[in-house]
Amino acid sequence: MIKTENLTKVYNGKTAVDGLNLEVGEGEIFGFLGPNGAGKSTTILMLTGMIEPTGGRCLVDGIEVAKDPLQVKKIIGYLPEDVGFYGNMTGEQNLDYFARFYGMNAKERKDRIAELLDLVHLGGVTQKAGEYSRGMKQRLGLAQALINDPNVLFLDEPTANLDPEGVREYRDLVEHLAAEGKTVFVSSHILSEVREVCRTVGLLAKGKLVAQGTLDEVARTLAPADGDAVRIVVETREHLPDIADPEIVAVERNGNRAVFRAKTDIRDRLAATLLDQGLHVREMRIEEPDIEDVFMAAYQR
Amino acid sequence: MTLDRLFNVARKEFSDHITSRRFIIILALFLVISAISIHEGIEQYNDNLESYNEQLQYMAEEKVDGPYAGWMPEKPSVMYIFMSMMSYMTGLGGILAIAIGFDLVSKEKESRSLKTLLSHPIYRDEIINGKVLGGVGALGFAMVLALALSIAMLLVFSVVPTLDEFAAILIFGVVSLGFLIAYFAVAITMSTVAKESGNALIYTLVIFFVVSSLLPVFGTIAADTLAGDPPEPPEMGPMPTPRGEVVRASSGGGYFVSSSSQSVVYGGTDDPAWRDYEEARKAYTEKRRFINDVSNILSPQTNYYRVAMAVTNPRLATMMYTVYGPEMQETPGGLADALGQVWMNIAALIVFPSVFFAATYVKFMRMDIR
Repeated sequence: MIKTENLTKVYNGKTAVDGLNLEVGEGEIFGFLGPNGAGKSTTILMLTGMIEPTGGRCLVDGIEVAKDPLQVKKIIGYLPEDVGFYGNMTGEQNLDYFARFYGMNAKERKDRIAELLDLVHLGGVTQKAGEYSRGMKQRLGLAQALINDPNVLFLDEPTANLDPEGVREYRDLVEHLAAEGKTVFVSSHILSEVREVCRTVGLLAKGKLVAQGTLDEVARTLAPADGDAVRIVVETREHLPDIADPEIVAVERNGNRAVFRAKTDIRDRLAATLLDQGLHVREMRIEEPDIEDVFMAAYQR
Repeated sequence: MTLDRLFNVARKEFSDHITSRRFIIILALFLVISAISIHEGIEQYNDNLESYNEQLQYMAEEKVDGPYAGWMPEKPSVMYIFMSMMSYMTGLGGILAIAIGFDLVSKEKESRSLKTLLSHPIYRDEIINGKVLGGVGALGFAMVLALALSIAMLLVFSVVPTLDEFAAILIFGVVSLGFLIAYFAVAITMSTVAKESGNALIYTLVIFFVVSSLLPVFGTIAADTLAGDPPEPPEMGPMPTPRGEVVRASSGGGYFVSSSSQSVVYGGTDDPAWRDYEEARKAYTEKRRFINDVSNILSPQTNYYRVAMAVTNPRLATMMYTVYGPEMQETPGGLADALGQVWMNIAALIVFPSVFFAATYVKFMRMDIR
């Protein structure tokens, strides 16, 4: 549904997005991760037809965005970061203004706007948008992104201004939209947020795609290459003795607890050895690399 | 570009303008001052009409000899009433135009609504053209209100314009709107160039001050500097005698066709030194005026004054342009002739906003919306 081919954007001699190749399938909830300034928003601006790429191309539903931005805009919805509205108009009036660009008649607009305002819990709010809190603006932003019932939804830092209740509702909404077959592209620098809703992710750093796939796949790709060692955590009731095994690379001891770094998974042999020595095993498990640490390390590379 | 999208933007902008507190306050002030000046103009007009009738009666009863023989008093025109509108049009009208234009784009950048708008199916040129159309529509609305009020007051005070005068009133309205659009164009350009509305307002006011106040002064200084010293009259030459038959009128109060004091053309002497002096003097004056005109052509105020003067008082406007001209006629032309003489000013009133609108368009199309 979304595809970029060697997508590049250069601003004043500085490369913001550098040869990005990305593919997101239909109905996917895709998390676009990266630190601030990585080029996420610039990528979204190119994907939504708001700026032209310096090089390469991007396609949404098979339409090349730079060649036919208006056609793309008709089938997508976009929630910008720090979304803004016309402060002298109510939320309903703002939505009505945007809805007119889709050729909807008065009744269609009225029905759709009422439905969306209820969805984002702004139904019956008569305040001008200029008096909205940031959270309310974010909700209205979500409503305006859905005004044309889009096939593809681009959300740039969607939970930035939401309270916990709003975040929960946003997650439910995204799940609901994905269930309807819509493709959701979520850009964020908050891993925990992406982890909650996204099935696949792409990690962008300094304008380049560092990894793409499921979270586990990306974490494995990004895990530090320390000899492909397996970390086995062991805790016994008694003090742990020295254990000799040719597969063990290193041991970090702490009383009756130790972390073995081994070339392969030797848990079966370890368990047998400890049992032979009459030790009582309380815990034995493989320690997965912490995904937050992995991403943090990737951000800092 | 489809008109639907353009008109959607224009409709919203027009609605924003005419419902904004800023616009309503300035417009109200504009209309109040219009009403006051029209009222004063009507009183003056009635006085002049009375004097005209008295003069007609005098001419019919008394035989007038000398240079005034054959003169006919001129019936005051309703358009003289509109001359009073010119001065506040260049002040308050300019402020109204600036007020609706200075934050038209910058406010959208500040509130980030422009980014939201651009995420919907609309091209950038449709947005900027819609904004211009909406702004011009709001200024047109203000102008129509001012003219409607003026005409209503004329009718209330039993002053009924002729068909020609009615046409002239409409032309005056169009010219005045052209002047307002000139400053609206400056304001929207600055709004597109500046990142913040405050800066846009300051830049616009600086340009307003420069073209309205500094340019005319600069024109005079440039004329003095470049034209050099005026020619000296020949010594001991005979005094020129006025040729009464070519005396022209000021008709400032609409009382007489001529007042005999405005523009006496000297002649009737056979002294070659005086003839040379007259030629040199004429060339010098025309050179000064040319330099002054070149400088003032950049000033919407000056252009507006000249064109509006041609509409409200074609006789005086014609006379101002033909003080030394051999083409002076016994009966100066009407509105068409007067407008023909200020064609450069009319062109300048069109070119000035066009240049600023073009700059706005180019800048807006290339604007970074991150």
